[in-house]
Amino acid sequence: MENILKFDNVSLIYHSLNSETLAIKSLNFEIKKGEFVAIVGPSGCGKTTILSLISGILKPSSGKITINSDNKCGYMFQKDHLFNWRTIFKNITLGLELQKKRTDENIAYIKDLSNKYGIADFLNRYPNQLSGGMKQRVALIRTLALKPDILLLDEPFSALDFQTRLDVCDDVWKIIKSEQKTAILVTHDIHEAISMADRIIILSKRPAVVKKIVEIDLDKNLTPFQRREQENFLKYFDIIWKELAYDEEKHS
Amino acid sequence: MTKKNTVNYSTQHKEYLRKVKNKKWLISSLQIGLLIAIIGFWELFAQIGVIDSFFMSSPSRMINTIIELASSGELFTHIWTTLYEAILGFVIATALGLIIAIALWWSETLRRVLDPYIVVLNALPKIALGPLIIIWFGSGTKAIVVMAILILIIVTILSMLSAFMSCDKDKILLMQSMGANKWQLFTKLVFPNALGELVSILKINVGLTWVGTIMGEYLVSKAGLGYLIVYGGTVFNLDLVMASTLILCILATAMYFGVVALEKYVRKNET
Repeated sequence: MENILKFDNVSLIYHSLNSETLAIKSLNFEIKKGEFVAIVGPSGCGKTTILSLISGILKPSSGKITINSDNKCGYMFQKDHLFNWRTIFKNITLGLELQKKRTDENIAYIKDLSNKYGIADFLNRYPNQLSGGMKQRVALIRTLALKPDILLLDEPFSALDFQTRLDVCDDVWKIIKSEQKTAILVTHDIHEAISMADRIIILSKRPAVVKKIVEIDLDKNLTPFQRREQENFLKYFDIIWKELAYDEEKHS
Repeated sequence: MTKKNTVNYSTQHKEYLRKVKNKKWLISSLQIGLLIAIIGFWELFAQIGVIDSFFMSSPSRMINTIIELASSGELFTHIWTTLYEAILGFVIATALGLIIAIALWWSETLRRVLDPYIVVLNALPKIALGPLIIIWFGSGTKAIVVMAILILIIVTILSMLSAFMSCDKDKILLMQSMGANKWQLFTKLVFPNALGELVSILKINVGLTWVGTIMGEYLVSKAGLGYLIVYGGTVFNLDLVMASTLILCILATAMYFGVVALEKYVRKNET
């Protein structure tokens, strides 16, 4: 399959008056169309920085990022960030409104998504009338409304309690799969990464370099929750955990 | 408000509702009782000579003064003058403050350039500008409104700006990732996000506009409640001072509740 995204020797330096910080150093990786990739690494290693680079909010200090797609990236954050003063429908159409694309066709697409993913009954409600899991689903549909080719998920479940997290994780995964989107998930939760991703990129401490890329060879048709019950699941956990722990040791 | 549903409640819940209602009644009757006691004892002590009503006035003398002023029609001129100045000061200062706060939010450069000026103006006791205001704006309504605006505007700018700046960084990032320009960022996120806080600022401003107006009237005026108070003070007519103060209390409270009503309206739409 063709590459949709390629990082070519990408580095990024954060500048402040007293210092400069090399956040990521000569990063190389590529992501194929339709792939679900997780990026894991110790906290503060620049995972979120990578997402900002992909979305174009940050520009690399050196190196090249190639994106083979016309449509922009869609972001999904830790918190749902729904606007309390807007109804669910108005929240979902926010992006279209900003880009002046509130066409009948696009509205129909949103209605379609809402029906398909069970939020059609809530469209006239306000966010504070919905549960945390439901809000996160609305946030995903708000992102999908702009038809992005690449979804950037920045720890999208870490604000939810454990039970809800497993449900929403399944939920989001199914939606992404059925819409055939490319997704990049940033997380520090190794279980979450293994249960959702096709491939896991392990980063080192700052300045971030790719330490290892692990192909997850679990049945692609299983949901994240079902994957957690697979025999090989723990094997992958071991590999990744050791990789990260070794990093801690070496530096301390 | 729960009349219709009462039937469905359990006895425990009805008991709870009854307790809440009783407590509310108790508070209200104590509030009214306290007011009556203050007025009653004031009047009583004035009548039997415990306090000197020349210095302290008394409720009956205040009412007589108000009736006198009202029958000559003078009272309404004074009330209208002060009310007009207060509302004008409030509206202009709030609108101007809002515009400046938006400009400062918009441009980081402007914000940094003007920062020391705002700090100095904020620290300055605005009343010190009194003589300048009289010379520049004359001794009428204009000068008083300018005084009110001066007292209000810096606080307004600072608190509105901080309300705008307190917007969640991730929400801004979200808007940017969806391609929002700066104007959209403001109208669709920053402003509605700050709306609750803006109304609280209006509540503070309503109090301050009276401070500014009365201060202005103390400096220069030919009419208004502040004028009546100063005049009454100079001629030792304490009845006039007290009566004007009472009317001022009522007006200021009424205007405050006007803003509270506005707040309720805004918050209702916010949910």
